Amino acid sequence: MDELLADFVAETREMLEASEGEIIAWEADPADRARLDTIFRFVHTVKGNCGFFDFPRLAGLSHAAEDALADCRSGRRDPDAALVTAVLAIIDRIVQMVDAIEAGEEFPEGGDDELIASLKVGQDDELVEHLAQPTPKAAGTAPTKADAAKKSEAAVAQRSIRLPVDLLDRVMSGVSDMVLARNDLAHRLRQAGTQPTIDGPFERLTTILADVRDAITRMRMQRIETLFGALPRLVRDLSSELGKQVMVDLEGGDVELDREMIEMVRDPITHIIRNAIDHGIETPSDRLAKGKREIGLLSIAARQSGNTISIVISDDGRGLVESRIAEKAIATGLIKESERASMSREKTLQLIFEPGFSTAESVSSVSGRGVGLDVVRDNLERVGGSIKVTSTEGVGTLFTLQIPLTLSIIAGLTVEVGDQRFAIPQSYVEEIIHSSAKALDFTRVGETALVTFRGARVPCLMLNDVLGLPAGDIALGDHTMVMLRLASGDLFALAVDQIHSHGDVVVKPLAPAIMKSGMYAGSTLLDDGQPVLLLDVTNVASQYGLVSDARNRVLKANHETETAKASDACRAMLFTDFDARRRAVRLELVQRIETAPATAIDLSGSAPRAVIDGVILPLVGLPNGQIPAEKIRILRLTDGNSDLLQAVRDVNDAVELTDKLKPVNDDPLIEAVTLVDGETVALLDGHELFARYGEVPESVKKPVCRLPDTDWARTILGPLVTSAGYDIAESEERQEDVSIWFDDEYEAALALEVEFDNPVIRLRDIPDAPDDAGTVYRYDRDGLVEALRQARAAGGRK
Amino acid sequence: MMNDLLVMAQIAGRRCALPAHDVQSVIEIGAITPVPRSPGFIAGITAMRSQALTVIDCRRALGFDPAPWSIDHRAIVVAVNGYSYALRVDSIEDITTGIAEPGTVPGGFGPEWSRVATGMIETRVGPSLLVDLEVLIAGPDSLGEAA
Repeated sequence: MDELLADFVAETREMLEASEGEIIAWEADPADRARLDTIFRFVHTVKGNCGFFDFPRLAGLSHAAEDALADCRSGRRDPDAALVTAVLAIIDRIVQMVDAIEAGEEFPEGGDDELIASLKVGQDDELVEHLAQPTPKAAGTAPTKADAAKKSEAAVAQRSIRLPVDLLDRVMSGVSDMVLARNDLAHRLRQAGTQPTIDGPFERLTTILADVRDAITRMRMQRIETLFGALPRLVRDLSSELGKQVMVDLEGGDVELDREMIEMVRDPITHIIRNAIDHGIETPSDRLAKGKREIGLLSIAARQSGNTISIVISDDGRGLVESRIAEKAIATGLIKESERASMSREKTLQLIFEPGFSTAESVSSVSGRGVGLDVVRDNLERVGGSIKVTSTEGVGTLFTLQIPLTLSIIAGLTVEVGDQRFAIPQSYVEEIIHSSAKALDFTRVGETALVTFRGARVPCLMLNDVLGLPAGDIALGDHTMVMLRLASGDLFALAVDQIHSHGDVVVKPLAPAIMKSGMYAGSTLLDDGQPVLLLDVTNVASQYGLVSDARNRVLKANHETETAKASDACRAMLFTDFDARRRAVRLELVQRIETAPATAIDLSGSAPRAVIDGVILPLVGLPNGQIPAEKIRILRLTDGNSDLLQAVRDVNDAVELTDKLKPVNDDPLIEAVTLVDGETVALLDGHELFARYGEVPESVKKPVCRLPDTDWARTILGPLVTSAGYDIAESEERQEDVSIWFDDEYEAALALEVEFDNPVIRLRDIPDAPDDAGTVYRYDRDGLVEALRQARAAGGRK
Repeated sequence: MMNDLLVMAQIAGRRCALPAHDVQSVIEIGAITPVPRSPGFIAGITAMRSQALTVIDCRRALGFDPAPWSIDHRAIVVAVNGYSYALRVDSIEDITTGIAEPGTVPGGFGPEWSRVATGMIETRVGPSLLVDLEVLIAGPDSLGEAA
């Protein structure tokens, strides 16, 4: 639409909005002179503006209304109800016409003359009423939703301005400042206690700020078109240089991406396109000989799914030849001849991303300039992305790039070590294991610390060592472990003193001198405005040699298949019981290693029992029914239906029982004896054990708990709830037995009269309970477990 | 350089001049978050509104031991290559103008100073060393093995 016209529409609307109240007031009291003036000005301006444009109908209507109102102003006529109705009818008609102009539609002919006629003195009231009817939107009635939506849609289409990027950045940092100021204020308000008069407006401020921040974040987004725009030319130039014919097909240009991120993926995408044209797509004659179309097709598609964007680059060229890649990898020493056979086709293809790999037999001027796909992968991983290739020989190759939406705002976990806080990108965090769950079996082998996680030894870095900070007064093994999974698939544990908070952090770049240390990826500001450093997890891991290189990665893959085979053989958990005998129990039976305090053990019944995670289970293996220590180690065994606990003095190791199993007859609880490292070990008879002691838990079906829909709940609260014997409600449909709510949200839900059919556990943010209690502090582990147990008991009665 | 504004500061007991053009502001220094495993001349990072500044101890950045000198509770905020730094110095003195083009003196200023000096500049408060911020911020080891 013409800019002038847009202005006209906007001005008319604005004036109408401003005078809407006046019109209604005038209707109530037609003699009110001030109101009359306002309305006169409105129709007068509309009439004047119509002069610029060719809107004879608008001009006619506004002119007639102006005349009538002018008569009233000069006292030649007394305004009465009939006149008011007529004028309002005209104003409504004007609004409808303006809407039509904006939408570019034709306004239905006719009806104007009647409206104008109704302005005449002495008109029959009924006629006027009748005339006013056809206009569905009488003054004062709120426009319908559809109308509003239409209006805003049109407004979006017409309003677009160009802004310098600097200004945008300034606004962004301004909003960031505001968020910080808000957080600081929130902090102080919390300290000061609840103050209803302040809390209300403050909540409102918080909501508004969240909205603004959201909008600003979207301002940073740029359509990926800006990147795609240059590609057809690139493809054209490359293909003509290489004597090939390539057609490019772009899709999903409207996908929006942080503009910094667009810059980050520009090189990788260009590189892959070069490769595809150089190595992938054949010359026209080759293609014809193979029965393909002369022109090769290169298609690039972008798609958004949740917080990631996937960009798929595919060609219909010759595809990757698995055998050639394997040969090359063997020749360059990436893998061994023997390893090759066990590698899947998919694994083999990914070798092209390994350093020092390049299949091109001749180095052309286009690709193969020493910058390989390994650099592409490194660059993508640096920004939290990944790349994968699939290919069918003779048909084509398909690269899939996954990249996060934005560089600058990421979900982060704040941890504390040696009184200082650091942030870790949430994307790396596999699981957080609190010190109270000592299932980790922390050991030191030489200088290296190891923990046992899901049955595997995993290297463990002490964050204070990594950073050269003094060790806290936390005992070894009492640390909180953050299990981190690297993009390469390697897993390691990072021991920290404690976990602080969890949420979105705005990442700011660090000065080069700090980046050189290789420890940090950026900095971010805490709620109180204090800066914290964001750890560069991949880099730290690689400094400690925890990132497997290509060789290891391949070996590990082999190892995995081996263990899969080996698991057919008998694997067992080796332990020492309280009579100092070496025992073993089949590993499949072992669910977890727990540590229970003496207080959790109940000897009063006919058989010893212990409470683990709020569930009472039978306990075997105590010497003479005594509790031998303050804390005892327990193996939690399960046969799938029933559980029991085996008390042990020491958990030794998971071993493979390779030696012959020699059945024993004298002790029914012993299945067999065997040799492990030259010593005899008695293997517990799982069948007998469960037959005697196993107990089906109260309900085989786990109760379902619904969590608040936040990252914190999923990653920090979730594991706790699961370990307390609950299933997490994943979908909306699943009926929960108990739900956990943040107290403020619960209050809000109550206010909305939401009905709660099931027990609700309310979490509060502050450790100290207000008098009305009924809530549990969100980090009060024992309190939460107790609340869950109670909820479960209540559910059981029902 | 002549008539350009200069921020005058004492660094390691010597009067230095920083081009005011590069100086964004002078701030009261708040809490500094140390950066483990970073070179010694980096005192840490601090927040200026929503921005994180890298705090540089200029005495260390020159290669001196800061112990003999007092330290100003304010810091000079400068922008170099798009990053903002807070420079900690003995004391921040004044803003003045250069009254001559920067020149050099025979024999140089001593190894530490020569590395960071653009030259000597005459100001209203006397001769002082004109500091090249980019070199200063790179730290004492920038020529050799990076820390």
